[in-house]
Formats: sequence, structure tokens, C-alpha cells
Amino acid sequence: MNNVVSNILRIILVLLLQVFICNYIHLFGFITPAFYLFGLLLLPLELPKSIQYLIGFFCGLFVDMFTHTLGVNAAACTVIMFIRPFIVKALNGRKTSDSVERLIPGVKDFKWLVSYVGFLTFVHQLLVVMLETLSFHNFLHSLTAIIGNTVLSAFIILCAEYIFYPVQGKNK
Amino acid sequence: MNNLIEFFKKNFHYFLLAILLVVSIIMMGKSMSYSKYKFARICQNTIGPIQKNWAEMIHKFSLGQENDLLTQQNIALMRENENMFIYKNDTVISMMSKTDSLHPRSMRLYDYTYAHVIYKTTDQAFNYLIIDKGSKDGISRDMAVTCPQGVVGVISDVSDHFSSIIPILHPDSRISATVSPINQVGTVVWEGPNPQVAYLENIPQHLEINIGDSVLTSGFSNIFPKGLLIGTVKEVSVGKNASFLTIKVKLATNFNKLNTVYLIENLHKAEIDSLKANFKNE
Repeated sequence: MNNVVSNILRIILVLLLQVFICNYIHLFGFITPAFYLFGLLLLPLELPKSIQYLIGFFCGLFVDMFTHTLGVNAAACTVIMFIRPFIVKALNGRKTSDSVERLIPGVKDFKWLVSYVGFLTFVHQLLVVMLETLSFHNFLHSLTAIIGNTVLSAFIILCAEYIFYPVQGKNK
Repeated sequence: MNNLIEFFKKNFHYFLLAILLVVSIIMMGKSMSYSKYKFARICQNTIGPIQKNWAEMIHKFSLGQENDLLTQQNIALMRENENMFIYKNDTVISMMSKTDSLHPRSMRLYDYTYAHVIYKTTDQAFNYLIIDKGSKDGISRDMAVTCPQGVVGVISDVSDHFSSIIPILHPDSRISATVSPINQVGTVVWEGPNPQVAYLENIPQHLEINIGDSVLTSGFSNIFPKGLLIGTVKEVSVGKNASFLTIKVKLATNFNKLNTVYLIENLHKAEIDSLKANFKNE
């Protein structure tokens, strides 16, 4: 129960941060971090898949309503919620662990988290930028935007993970 | 039949995924349907005001910067004011050179800069102000200080980075002034504790002064340019010294809300003062 509340609160907080602060950041004129993925990436994997999709969809829609790009973030978030279990499986490799796991520092090592967050934010940004422009017309500009956004978003999300879930001492 | 339902239950999330993606793609599409239009309208009506208020909040952070830009623009405009120059179109030299006859030869007499008040008193007997510019910023003694509303005072002491101002609200401050329609010259002094009222002295009794007349700087002191607003006449009465009127002046400057001040430098003050020094009565 406690877990549910904390997840809901985290998502709400992160969404508000996104629409009221992160959306106003335009580093070098075009880099806007998508910090709200932090809430989605930390959702427990054992949640029913349909609920995960719905949460992703409505989070994306909420952000879209503020940026006047209805559907773009919603689609991107739904997609990353869909591919998330596969990424986790792929990153875990052969090791078969129980399905209940927490995707936080201390449980997962730094390399794992970087690839997990980096790949999913990359997919998200790729979809968002591509769907927004809907063309390969200004491809170089889109590419720099995708890479810039991905790097900044992933960096902020990783920082947040290590701040809110500090790694316990090694002797534990 | 049971199998079908079982299949449906098992793969429900795939259907949901497809539905959500289709919905978002429809929302992205350029074509407009009525329901889509309505949804966009609802978004606009609920989110628009929130976003507007938030944008205004954020805008307030940049107001200081905007203020500085406006102050600079003000100074650029004020430097071109007519009372900043001496016109010499009637000297012998300018009459001889025909090229200049259309454009009177002008010489800049005053120059402007600005500063911010960092400390001030208004309720003491000897009030003073401190500003954040000093001799390293080109501030010197006896520069005039004004603000958008009216005259403030005169620079009295200058250190490297700060300067003090003797405002009108100081018993030692004496500013040469004229009453606007009749152009009679007097002196504005301050006596009382009220930071809004000063007195205009040396106006002979036979002159007719109306309530509401503006009191302007005369430009005779070589500190203030001519025609800056000091205040308006509030009350006229016959003084104890029967030959002069006692005139109460409501000061135009609100000293309590003073923040940005303009500093005016007389570029030829030393030259004029050297002439004045020959006469003993100062």
C-alpha cells in the first residue's frame, strides 16, 4: 500500500516539475530535458501491463496538454512502457532472477542503470522528436536535439535516482 | 467460446497498447474532427490560465533586467533634451560660417548617468541617501540627482564605490527654483519634518502665485539643468518678514519609494565657477 502511494506521489510531483520547470529550460536554445520519465522508469515491473500502459499514456498526455503537442508524448511514453520489460530482461542477461525487482541504485549497479535509463530516454526522445517533426527533412537538427535531450534527461534522472535512493554502505 | 475469452483476457494488454497508440496517433493527426476539436478546447480552457499565471510569475524574475534596459533608454533620451545644451547660433563665429546656419552650434552642457539608492532616511532632521556608484564610476561632488518624478538633491561626498546625497529634505539644501508662469526666481528650502513639503523663499509679496503652479529648477546654480520639476505650490501666505511670501511646495519626488536615480553632471562647472569666484557675495 505504502508503495502504491509513494509511486503515485512521485509521478504527480515529477509531472508538475516537468510542466512548470523543465519545460521552460531551453539549453542552447533546443535542449529540453524530459525529467518526468523518472517517475515512469521507477514504476514496479510487477504491475499489470495494461495499467503500466495506461499510466504511461496519461502521463504523456498530461505533458502534451501543456506543450500543445497532443499525442506525441503520450505515444512515446506508451511505447517505452511497452518495451521496458524487454530492456530489463535483456540487460539482466542469462541470470534468471525473480520477477520482483527494484530498479534502483544499490539493487542495480551503475552500469546497468546508465544503460537502462539511457536507452529508454533515447527511445522516448527519438519518438518525440520524430513524431513532432514527422519528417527527415531537417535530420541533422533533429539528431542533435535527440542526442542533447537524451544526454541531459538521462543525466538528470540518474542524479535524481542517486539522490533519492542513496546507495547503502558496502558492508551491508 | 471460452477459449476466445481466455485468449482475450490473456492478451488484453496488447489490445490496450494498440488502442492507446491509435488514439495518440489520431490526436497527432492534422485532420480535425468535432470531438478532437472539443478536447483541444477543453485543454486550452483549463491549462491556458494556469500556464498564463505561471508565465507571469517567471517573467517577474527578469523584471530587474528589463528595468535596467528601460533606465538606459531613459538616459539616452534625456541626454538629447533641449536643456542639456547651450546653443550658440547667435555668436559672431556661427554667423560667419554659413554651413552651420541651419544647425545652430550646440555645446553639451550636462550629461546623465544613473545609480541605485542603497540606503536612505526620510524621517530624520538631517536626511541623506547613499547610492551604489562612486568616484570610480565617474561621480564627483556637486552633481545633481533627480528621479523620474522630480528633483532629489545634490551629491555631497564621494568614496571609491559609493556616494552620499544631500536631498531636498535637509536643512542645508538650497535649490534655486522658478515658479512656472511668472518665472520669478526663488530658493527651495526644507524645514519641517514632513518629507513631502518644502518652502519656496525669496518671492516678493506683490507677485501673484496660484495654488498648483509648478516649481521648476532655474538652472542658475550650474548644478541642475533648467526646467526640472521640484514640486507644485500647495499654499501661499504672507510671511512674518512682510516683503516676501511664504509658499508651501508639495514635492514631486516621493522619497520613500526612491530606487533608481539619475545623476546629472555639469561638464563646464569649473569654468563657470571660476568666473563666479570673482564676485565676493557667494
